[in-house]
Amino acid sequence: MSDKLKQVISRQNKQQQNESIDQSDDIVQLVGFIIGEEEYAVPILSIQEIIKPFTWTRVPQVPKYVMGVFNLRGAVIPLIDLRLKFGLSEKKHSDETRFIVMKDRDDVAGFVIDRLTMAIRIKKENIGPAPDTINGDNTTIDGVGKQEDRIITILKVNKLLERDF
Amino acid sequence: MDEFQEILQDFLVEAFELVEKLDEDLVELEASPEDLELLNGIFRVAHTIKGASSFLNFDVLTHLTHHMEDVLNKARHGELIITPDVMDVVLESIDLMKTLLNIIRDTSSDAGVDVSECVARLDKISGGDGDVPSPVVTAPVVEVAEPVVEDEPDYDNMSDDDVEAEIQRLLEQRQAEDKAKREAKVAAGEEVLAPPPEPDEETSAQNAKESKPEKKPEPKSEPIKAPVPRASTNARSMSDDEDLDNDAKAAAPAKRSNNSVDQTIRVDVKRLDHLMNLIGELVLAKNRLIKINDDVEERYEGEEFLEELNQVVSIVSLVTTDLQIAVMKTRMLPIGKVFNKFPRMIRDLTRELNKKIELVIKGEETELDKSIVEEIGDPLVHIIRNSCDHGIETPEVRLANGKSETGTISLTAYNEGNQIVIQIDDDGKGLDADILKNKALEKGIISEKEADNMGEKEAFLLIMKPGFSTAASVTNVSGRGVGMDVVKTNIEKVNGIIDIDSETGVGSSVKLKIPLTLAIIQALLVGVQEEAYAIPLSSVLETVRISKDEIYTVESRSVMRLRDDVLSLVHIGDIFEVERILDSSEHAYVVVLGLGAQKLGLIVDSLVGQEEIVIKSLGEYLKGIKGIAGATIRGDGGVTLIVDVVALMEIAKNVKATSMISDQNSESAQSREKTKASDYTIMIVDDSKTDRMIMRKSLEATGMTLVEASDGLEALNILKQGDYHFDAMLIDIEMPRMDGYTLATEIKKYNRYKQMPLIAVTSRTGKSDRMRGVESGMVEYITKPYSADYLSSVVQRNVNFKSEFLS
Repeated sequence: MSDKLKQVISRQNKQQQNESIDQSDDIVQLVGFIIGEEEYAVPILSIQEIIKPFTWTRVPQVPKYVMGVFNLRGAVIPLIDLRLKFGLSEKKHSDETRFIVMKDRDDVAGFVIDRLTMAIRIKKENIGPAPDTINGDNTTIDGVGKQEDRIITILKVNKLLERDF
Repeated sequence: MDEFQEILQDFLVEAFELVEKLDEDLVELEASPEDLELLNGIFRVAHTIKGASSFLNFDVLTHLTHHMEDVLNKARHGELIITPDVMDVVLESIDLMKTLLNIIRDTSSDAGVDVSECVARLDKISGGDGDVPSPVVTAPVVEVAEPVVEDEPDYDNMSDDDVEAEIQRLLEQRQAEDKAKREAKVAAGEEVLAPPPEPDEETSAQNAKESKPEKKPEPKSEPIKAPVPRASTNARSMSDDEDLDNDAKAAAPAKRSNNSVDQTIRVDVKRLDHLMNLIGELVLAKNRLIKINDDVEERYEGEEFLEELNQVVSIVSLVTTDLQIAVMKTRMLPIGKVFNKFPRMIRDLTRELNKKIELVIKGEETELDKSIVEEIGDPLVHIIRNSCDHGIETPEVRLANGKSETGTISLTAYNEGNQIVIQIDDDGKGLDADILKNKALEKGIISEKEADNMGEKEAFLLIMKPGFSTAASVTNVSGRGVGMDVVKTNIEKVNGIIDIDSETGVGSSVKLKIPLTLAIIQALLVGVQEEAYAIPLSSVLETVRISKDEIYTVESRSVMRLRDDVLSLVHIGDIFEVERILDSSEHAYVVVLGLGAQKLGLIVDSLVGQEEIVIKSLGEYLKGIKGIAGATIRGDGGVTLIVDVVALMEIAKNVKATSMISDQNSESAQSREKTKASDYTIMIVDDSKTDRMIMRKSLEATGMTLVEASDGLEALNILKQGDYHFDAMLIDIEMPRMDGYTLATEIKKYNRYKQMPLIAVTSRTGKSDRMRGVESGMVEYITKPYSADYLSSVVQRNVNFKSEFLS
């Protein structure tokens, strides 16, 4: 009786392990968003939160894409417009505009994006390297994810959070 | 091992404190060598360190302190007179002790410093032949080989008296501590902190070790307590009998200090920092609460619950303020901690420079935030060295000038409002503005022109410039031109101000004004266009309201007359690249900033008020922005940047005259070419949906684009978003949130809407209402009810509607 039980339990454990291996090994979880015409994504774990736009304070003597700083529950956090950073024209904030607060260790910043798409689960084998022409240490592109009908540019969060002026 | 580390930490903290005290006491002792009380105190300190270090097996340290103790003991017994030369050796040994303690702190062992030379000299003074074998640190066997160190003392080499005294002392120390322990327990029950563990264990360890081989019965424990009060009045030269009294006296105050230890606890600074951060959050929340309370008060005037709300808010705000002060106080250290090292420094300097200098310290009990205390040590050292070297003259010169032979440097600290002032005065030769200027010119630090324009105070500040030194030759003490630069940097780091005053031949005085704490400051909030900035109040001297024609331009710089001075001006908008959206009014405010002797007028649009703000860093990503010291969160949850006054003064030097008249034609492309009826855009502002509908119906026929807003605020927001270029607005007067008059006034503040016709559509028909309408910038006044045609024609007229668009 107890032997049987043990077998069942161990079988179940194995199954669970296999499942979890499936999940952690082959699938990457990303959050997708639109800037201009393109769809981008960042790893879900690097996102601290996603909030609706609210007021921020301009900071002088910074590039135009640094919009300023805002108050996130008592912390003063820089706000960066990814449209401007990626060389697109300025656009009014709409109902779909969101601030994505990303973190990498102690660095935190808010990024303005045009619109969220969805949480994406994508197999690792479907992620290719960034095109050769923009490869290198300096690119903010981590790789390109292929879905059935579209491709998604995956961004390096630590690069985005790096001061480049 | 952990326990050992803990004991070691305690030992180090205690030892450093004691050594600091030692320095001070010794210098004092030199001045009054007869002071037995003082001598005993010093002996005790040396002894405590010796005891503790031998317990912790720091043989080199024990070796050194032991010999030091010998010398002091001799002096205590009147067998030795403390001459400056003796003092030199003792002080030297204390320096060595500090070095050893530092090494112990860093490496947990006291190897690597050669003390033999100093020990030999100490030994010579205490009457030995100077031939002292030094302990070898590493081998444990050494303990046996050591002749005098306590662990395995070679009592054969000691005189009988010494042995007697030593045993007596150990015994008494033990008893005193036991007594203290008992008292503590009785006083506060079991939970009270026990006396520091290491001296206790040390003595017991020693006792265990020593009493066994000696096997000497000690029946004298009874009379020990009795002589204590008598001891202080006791005689100079001591016989063997009096030794007892003296030792008892040595032990008694130690017991007292043990008791006072029970009243304090050591807290990790990190915890205090954390606490301070939390208080900061609380202050922000309090500010916010007060703001909300004000809003609620406005909206629900006269309601009963307001009273209660008010009470709660004021209690919260009161308690928060008290809490903040209380936490700030726990971080406070008396400035004496820094001052303590100066008597010794002055003493060394006087001997080195062959000058006679007396140091007078006042207000050492004044308290300052710990982080600031740490920052001001170095600046003070440099200022005092400077005073000794450059300020105070040699005795001969002083006598020739009719001054007393001994120069005086006084170091004073006192509170002044929210600041601490540390003042360093000397009665030396003073600073000469002309010499300073010439020197600066010579070194190319300032230009000829700058020198001419420079006032006396500014000239004094030249000594703070890097690379500046008037000393003819570089001495050991100063003259490299580095020190005073350090002063400036460090003081500015803590938002302090330096003020130098001097009179040639009479002396000079340096004042350091330092804020009490770093994290929370008082700030003046100023407005420019739609932005607000916070200026630390400590740098604000005054504010002045001026009209535009009081601003003159001299050499493409703006200046104004402020009483008898000419004040250079800079517009805050020019420094922070503020966009000129709003029309600046005829008047402006000038915030006069002061940093040392430097002054600058900062032109702002409005003064918002004074507020207590919590400084927050802008973080890694935005650090190092010139002119911005940080940010703070305001009552409304918004972020306001804090001005870095030091950097602002630097930036201001390179900013050309401000264009107070803003560009009028920047947005005048409003009246762009109209090609069809729908190019005309009209905004309808009315809180009644029916009224909006009626207006819409009246204008629909023309084919104009119509946008609706239900109150003034909404209308203003639509305008600000800039999605449309409005050609005219129809505004109702009575609306919730923001009425028509206010809306019109707000709109007229913007340059780009200056020309836009505003048409009032209202049922208010009184003459005064019409007047108000005109005052607030309305061009037409349509009273309800009106005919559709009339409304349409008024609008068409105001927007220059081309009739050919009418179908």
